[in-house]
Amino acid sequence: MGVQTGEIKATVKDYILDEFLPGEDPEALTDDTPLITGGILDSIATVKLVGFLEERFGVQFSAHEMSADYLDTLDDIAGIVSSKM
Amino acid sequence: MDFTLTQDQKVFRNEIIRFAKKELNDGVIERDRKQEFPHDLWLKCGEMGLQGLPVPEEYGGVGLDPLSTALALEALGYGCEDGGLAFSICAHLLACVVPIWKHGNDEQKAKYLPKLANGSMIAVNAMSEPGSGSDAYAMKTRAVKDGDGYRINGTKIWSTNGPVADLAVVYAVTDAEKGYYGGITIFLVEKDTPGFSPGQKFEKMGLRTSPIGEIVLEDVWVPDSAMLGELGAGTLIFTQSMEWERVCIGAMHCGTMNRLMDKAIKYARRRESFGQKISKYQAVSHKIVDMKIRLEAARLLAYKAATRLDKARDVAIDASMTKVFISEALVQTALDTVQIFGGNGFTTDYQVERTLRDSIGGKIYSGTNEVQRNILAKWLGL
Repeated sequence: MGVQTGEIKATVKDYILDEFLPGEDPEALTDDTPLITGGILDSIATVKLVGFLEERFGVQFSAHEMSADYLDTLDDIAGIVSSKM
Repeated sequence: MDFTLTQDQKVFRNEIIRFAKKELNDGVIERDRKQEFPHDLWLKCGEMGLQGLPVPEEYGGVGLDPLSTALALEALGYGCEDGGLAFSICAHLLACVVPIWKHGNDEQKAKYLPKLANGSMIAVNAMSEPGSGSDAYAMKTRAVKDGDGYRINGTKIWSTNGPVADLAVVYAVTDAEKGYYGGITIFLVEKDTPGFSPGQKFEKMGLRTSPIGEIVLEDVWVPDSAMLGELGAGTLIFTQSMEWERVCIGAMHCGTMNRLMDKAIKYARRRESFGQKISKYQAVSHKIVDMKIRLEAARLLAYKAATRLDKARDVAIDASMTKVFISEALVQTALDTVQIFGGNGFTTDYQVERTLRDSIGGKIYSGTNEVQRNILAKWLGL
């Protein structure tokens, strides 16, 4: 599970840097950087991210999971994705 | 993608067009003038199944897939000259019935869907507020936990069917800190609930037979069982209902554009000016050709988006493109039709100026076209 979570985190980090933080220092995006509450992901970016997660990892999100409770950090995202795999 | 209509789709489309032409158009000029909602015609539409097109048959609906639903609404847009009535049906079906069908529990579906599908119950989507239209999540309406239920306070505006509704799909903030992300919840509120009342009814430039107004919620208490979906699921349910609305109203507008184009062709082939039919003037024929091009492009956008409803996470993008393109195409087609009709088009009797007035709202409701373009720009990473 540890390795799998690490791979998920790395994949999601690359995606977020490429899509939503172009040109930013990758070091600045850590496992606990607040993405939603910190303003990096707005509503459209969150939908786009969830679309990416569903397609890339073959998982499905339900309505209530599109929230900061589940998607606010790379740790959160890796956790919920791995729990669905 | 192959959008060749099946035999069933053709038959149902033709049936709806025949029904609409025969039953829905008499007296529409007068109704428009008086801003009168035709409740009797609403019920006839219910008998045709229009208010429950995609709802499973076990709940009294027709059980159509999303594309067939769009095609049926296109037929309504073609046959029905009463744009307000058609709009009321769409608002009821797409923003209220669809969310209940998709997210209601068995008890809610059994209680509401059969009556909503046959038109004996009218629903209103209570989302927009005086300070938040397209910026919907800046809403002030609050639902606070109170015993075995929630107490709701707030005022909604632009609520289509609000003045005549039996059931409201009410969006309220249940967690202000979470806001958009899990802080919005939906409650189903019946009209007789103490504290619930329709407020002011608005007078409008178009869609005048569709009653649109305020909804006032004053210390309205509803039990936990009135919650639609889960606590905090309002955002995604609303997003999904707007996808249905943007796509399927777009499909209905395809029907309206087709009707306007047919009227323009018929008029241009009969009207003479300077010794020949005006259809022979390129200034006229090119306008009509452009109507045809817009119509075919609009259909492809709407049909493609309809096939992706509930399947693709990014259907929101198809829905926004469909909404922007078709609403603007409809306004242009309606403007050109009035221009081709000349002075006659400017009068109420020829029934094209009303469609022009009706069309303007399409660029505003379901999220303004400016907001749709913002969504698309963000999606493109701009």
